[in-house]
Amino acid sequence: MPALYILIPVAIALVGFAIWLFFWAVDSGQYDDLDGPAHSILFDDEDPKHQAAVNQAQQDSTPPGPEDKPGA
Amino acid sequence: MASPTPCYHCGLPVPAGSRFQAEILGARRELCCPGCQAVAEAIVAGGLEHYYKHRSETAANPQSLPQALPDELALYDRRDVQQPFVEHDGELSETCLLIEGISCAACGWLIEKHLRDLPGVSEAHLNLSNHRLQVRWADSQLPLSQLLKALRKIGYAAHPWQADAAAEQLQRENRRAMRELGVAGMLWMQVMMASMATWPEFNIDLSPELDQILRWVSLFLTTPIVFYCCGQFFRGALRDLRTRHLTMDVSVSLAIGGAYVAGIWSTVTGQGELYFDAVGMFALFLLAGRYLERRARERTAAATAQLVNLLPASCLRLEADGHSQRILLSELRTGDSVLVPPGALLPADGRILQGTSSVDESLLTGEYLPQPRAVGDSVTAGTLNVEGPLTVQVQALGDATRLSAIVRLLERAQSDKPRLAVLADQVAQWFLLIVLVAAAVVGLVWWQLDPSRAFWVVLALLVATCPCALALATPTALTAATGSLHKLGLLLTRGHVLEGLKQIDTLVLDKTGTLTEGRLTLSGIHPLRELDADSCLALAAALENRSEHPIARAFGQAPEAAEAVDSHPGLGLQGRVGEHLLRIGEAGFVCALSAQAVPVITGEHGQWLLLGDEQGPLAWFVLDDRLREDAPQLIAAAKARHWQIMLLSGDSSPMVGEVARQLGIKDARGGLTPDAKLEVLKQLHNQGRRVLMLGDGVNDVPVLAAADISVAMGSATDLAKTSADAVLLSNRLSSLVQALHMAQRTRRIIIENLTWASLYNGLVLPFAAMGWITPIWAALGMSVSSLLVVLNALRLTRP
Repeated sequence: MPALYILIPVAIALVGFAIWLFFWAVDSGQYDDLDGPAHSILFDDEDPKHQAAVNQAQQDSTPPGPEDKPGA
Repeated sequence: MASPTPCYHCGLPVPAGSRFQAEILGARRELCCPGCQAVAEAIVAGGLEHYYKHRSETAANPQSLPQALPDELALYDRRDVQQPFVEHDGELSETCLLIEGISCAACGWLIEKHLRDLPGVSEAHLNLSNHRLQVRWADSQLPLSQLLKALRKIGYAAHPWQADAAAEQLQRENRRAMRELGVAGMLWMQVMMASMATWPEFNIDLSPELDQILRWVSLFLTTPIVFYCCGQFFRGALRDLRTRHLTMDVSVSLAIGGAYVAGIWSTVTGQGELYFDAVGMFALFLLAGRYLERRARERTAAATAQLVNLLPASCLRLEADGHSQRILLSELRTGDSVLVPPGALLPADGRILQGTSSVDESLLTGEYLPQPRAVGDSVTAGTLNVEGPLTVQVQALGDATRLSAIVRLLERAQSDKPRLAVLADQVAQWFLLIVLVAAAVVGLVWWQLDPSRAFWVVLALLVATCPCALALATPTALTAATGSLHKLGLLLTRGHVLEGLKQIDTLVLDKTGTLTEGRLTLSGIHPLRELDADSCLALAAALENRSEHPIARAFGQAPEAAEAVDSHPGLGLQGRVGEHLLRIGEAGFVCALSAQAVPVITGEHGQWLLLGDEQGPLAWFVLDDRLREDAPQLIAAAKARHWQIMLLSGDSSPMVGEVARQLGIKDARGGLTPDAKLEVLKQLHNQGRRVLMLGDGVNDVPVLAAADISVAMGSATDLAKTSADAVLLSNRLSSLVQALHMAQRTRRIIIENLTWASLYNGLVLPFAAMGWITPIWAALGMSVSSLLVVLNALRLTRP
């Protein structure tokens, strides 16, 4: 099983990268609010701009344009 | 009285004949007050109607939020004031605001949406867990005061928030706990893959060289789990050993440390079994249990740990030229004169130079009626000026005030707080002793039989009896119960409440605001002339609606508005409704209008106000601090448990005896200072009693801190909430009765869990002693027993 000689270091490198990424996510506060984002995704469905974009997409079955993004 | 329609915005009852309405979601909705109407209209005008569709809770009543004066908000535009909490980055400024009035997730959507639509705001993000709003905006386009006003318009109060040491530490600890959990999880999966390959059960045909490599890889990956993630267990164990206690931490450390050291030995020599995956799984389960428990408790703490804003942020200083200027409280000096308008909090201790008024000291002393104060009287920081404007000379500030003295008393009381025994640690002690003895015996026996296997058998025994389920038994049950209690309206902020309730034998209650509503309500109307009660109430309400006095709220909203209303501090109000010239208030003052004799008062309790016109008195209004409806229920539940019940009140009026008589409490004491209350508690402790304290005011704070278990009312001051172990958010005493049942169930589940976990460990002991346990069986046993414990605990989430 010579493949393992390569796969093991790759696995360790990957897990090291994952931990580094995880630390960065924790430090940038992405885990500070575990309640809010779960709800906010529901409200975005009701966004009139989103609704308009969805309706338009259904009509001409083309992917919605830039108005899909929430307005600044 | 028919049950009134609830206000569409805040859910409070709409008073009869209300003229406040708004067009929301295509229908006309009844609203209770002009505040709700303004907020609802602002929300609709902003195109944010969907808020009403999404919310799961009604909004906070705008009038229950702390009032801010426009010139106080304007102070926040000053650069020197902004300096501690606003960061400037070129054109944009960034700040963190603490938002009051958030009731559900839809509030977060509403706030973010509303702010992002404002010109100049580039980013707004609300953290729903701790109610903090992070906002970036262009200061030149939109001053901070306008931002705060915009929030107030949709019904939320915002305060500049600065991270204090405690909050920063909490955040650091939270992130650290999250990191430890994540690292343990990710590394454990890798360790499992590497070490499982070496298990004989999987029959993988490994070359000796590869076997050796996999052992080293497992060791390499396990080391961070042990040293980084499990540090807290080792530190805890060391601390407990120093104080000569055998606790769960000791037991956990022994299992992790033992398996790790043996793993090193096995890696170096290339023989024996690897238990690294057990270390990882054990660490992950325990950290997850502790993290969930921490989150359940902190979510509740964050909701209540608002600013300790007992003092106003700013005050009006009277300059030498007679003008007043609004300054920050920190700029105030002893000897200054401050102008305190009616309805404002006193910023400092002082003496009245000018003016007559009454001062609401209920939070500090427990007196339920505002106390009259005149020139020369002293007043206390944190109390509420009710009627007339006062000029006060500042005598004590900050740490020297009476309020701070209570806070210091609180710190002393906290250090006296007795520690209630934790069930899991008692079990862990026995468990650890038994395992150690068994390990020693088994080791000796095997040493005689087969010295080469003795070490591995003892190790397998230690790992297989690893108290994973035992350590999870309590945290999982507490997490589940905390969540259920949250739904009932009781927030637990400290961990020992549920376990400790069993040991309680004395219930100490406060009166004002705890057993009673804490505010004056109308308890009776006695008409004296041809007008009936309802018409008299309408007239009285019209007058009182123009007043800031706490009594005024008892009259509700009036259908008509009075004109030319004058307040006569200490006496009452005079005003005109239609063509009637009316007075309401103290009897002599009212009768002076018609020059008639004062009618006889026909009852004894409460405060009697007279309403009269130029022809003579019209009606008596009786105001009283009503008992909460579910107070008898709580007393009955306490009696059923054979608890001793005591009423300790700061109120010196006969109300204390009256309340005690109505509820059947034998031991009631009134007129107690915070020191005296604490003294009573110490006596109880000296008699060996375990005390549950229920209170709300600042004067209860030291006792709340020192009691074995303390519960603060949701309407309590922030200081009381932060020093209590639990907060009764719903303000319903019946929730507390339910919580008592819940505590019993939780205790039962904990005991079940502990029993099951011990049973599992006891069952596995003989097999391990025989040397039949290999790593795969240890891993399987650990996960199944832990899963059972968690599932059992989940039963607590069902009502």
